[in-house]
Amino acid sequence: MQLTKLCLLTVVTLLMLLAAADGAFAQANMSAGTSLFREQGGPLHMDVIMPSVNAAVDVAEPLQLRVGWMADIVSGASVAVVDAPADSVDAITTATVSDTRHQLSGGLTLRDTQGSVDVTYNHAFENDYRSHNFAVTARTDLWDRNTGFEIGYSRAFDRVCDVAGTFEPVEKPRLDSSKGCFSDAQTRSARELAIHTLQAGFTQVWTPVFTTRIGVLAQLLHGFQVNPYRAVRIGKTAAQEHAPNDRARYALSASGRFWLVPLRAALGLEARAYRDSWGITSFSGELSYDQRLFGDVRLRLRLRYYAQGRAAFYSDDYMLAPKGRYFTGDRELSAMRSALFGLAFRWQLPTDESGHLLGFLSSFALVLKGDLLRSFFDEFHYDRAEVPNTLAQLLSLELRATM
Amino acid sequence: MLDSASSSRPLLLLMAAILCGLAACAGVRPEDKEHLAEPAMSYGDEGMSEQHEQHVLDNREGSTGGGDTRGGGCGCN
Repeated sequence: MQLTKLCLLTVVTLLMLLAAADGAFAQANMSAGTSLFREQGGPLHMDVIMPSVNAAVDVAEPLQLRVGWMADIVSGASVAVVDAPADSVDAITTATVSDTRHQLSGGLTLRDTQGSVDVTYNHAFENDYRSHNFAVTARTDLWDRNTGFEIGYSRAFDRVCDVAGTFEPVEKPRLDSSKGCFSDAQTRSARELAIHTLQAGFTQVWTPVFTTRIGVLAQLLHGFQVNPYRAVRIGKTAAQEHAPNDRARYALSASGRFWLVPLRAALGLEARAYRDSWGITSFSGELSYDQRLFGDVRLRLRLRYYAQGRAAFYSDDYMLAPKGRYFTGDRELSAMRSALFGLAFRWQLPTDESGHLLGFLSSFALVLKGDLLRSFFDEFHYDRAEVPNTLAQLLSLELRATM
Repeated sequence: MLDSASSSRPLLLLMAAILCGLAACAGVRPEDKEHLAEPAMSYGDEGMSEQHEQHVLDNREGSTGGGDTRGGGCGCN
């Protein structure tokens, strides 16, 4: 019922924006689509459906309004107690996961010939999580638009559902369900999480066929940052995982794109380095090849490799090798690697002599995309069992229209 | 550590100045930007499906960031 109301609210808002656009003879962009994520192996599986709708309308010469909705409809089985006795994959004890997260966003863009300013607000909510996020981004183009600078800041005010009461970390139980979260229930509490994100980008056109981009990110998180449902066996009993309240994250990326004139294709290369105050360092490299096949039909191939080191407080077995006061069962905090192979197909429909489609659209595009993601966890085990769910698939369909 | 940071600051400023100088000299004229106008050559035009993929990667890796500056994110990782 809630989903239906949100869909209706989004559709009504979009129609109002489009009506406003029609009245002002302005341009309107709209996109809609969905992605399906599936990860499975042994008794563990996770399915996520991600529908989304976005619209942007130029209501006046310098002003654009944006509105959007997206959701994560999650169902699956995850590990409740990490390192509970398990000799094989089949012996891993699982807990059922089922939740829907909605994210509503709205914003406006002010722009002129040399630059733009975006202001965006996001509100996301699910049974056990609430988030309010404010973001401001400024961008300017210099020197015949050959150089672009952009800088953005966002601040998120998040709340996470947790068990109520004061516990020693080694005695704290995990949250067994989201029942009673964000209500007057005496057994539930809400933990705060503040996120400050500063990002900047520098884009440069060097030659008629070569362009580059450098991006940096600095992010500070303060508050509750563990999965409240996950416990770790640290002795005879298990306790909810316990991580530092503060985390500082830094990332630097550099990418380049080169147009291969004889092939009518773009070659892309991207590298990213990351480091944070929990001790994780990572590197990723990506190679892409985007071929224009015929007309406005494009095919894109992509390969990505990612590797990271473990967090300073990560241990595969806290009974044999404890790491100070913190403990976690998060496999993404262990040393890991992943490889991604992606294929995307984009078709921009041709317009008629007047530059229109169906008499009212100025452009229409269809994007179909599929990714395979294989992860490798060299030092993470569920007691003695290997991680079973290491292969994931992501399939996306998107429609984009301009009127 | 402080000394190291202080000594590397002039070098970083020099590199930034050289980069900006090179950028200003790289004058590609508007009429020469036919290939740069291809969608595959622009940054930040990836759309919804790329956002969904980034959302998945943020949840399946221990790191984040370095991409587009727009939007922000709700911290739902």
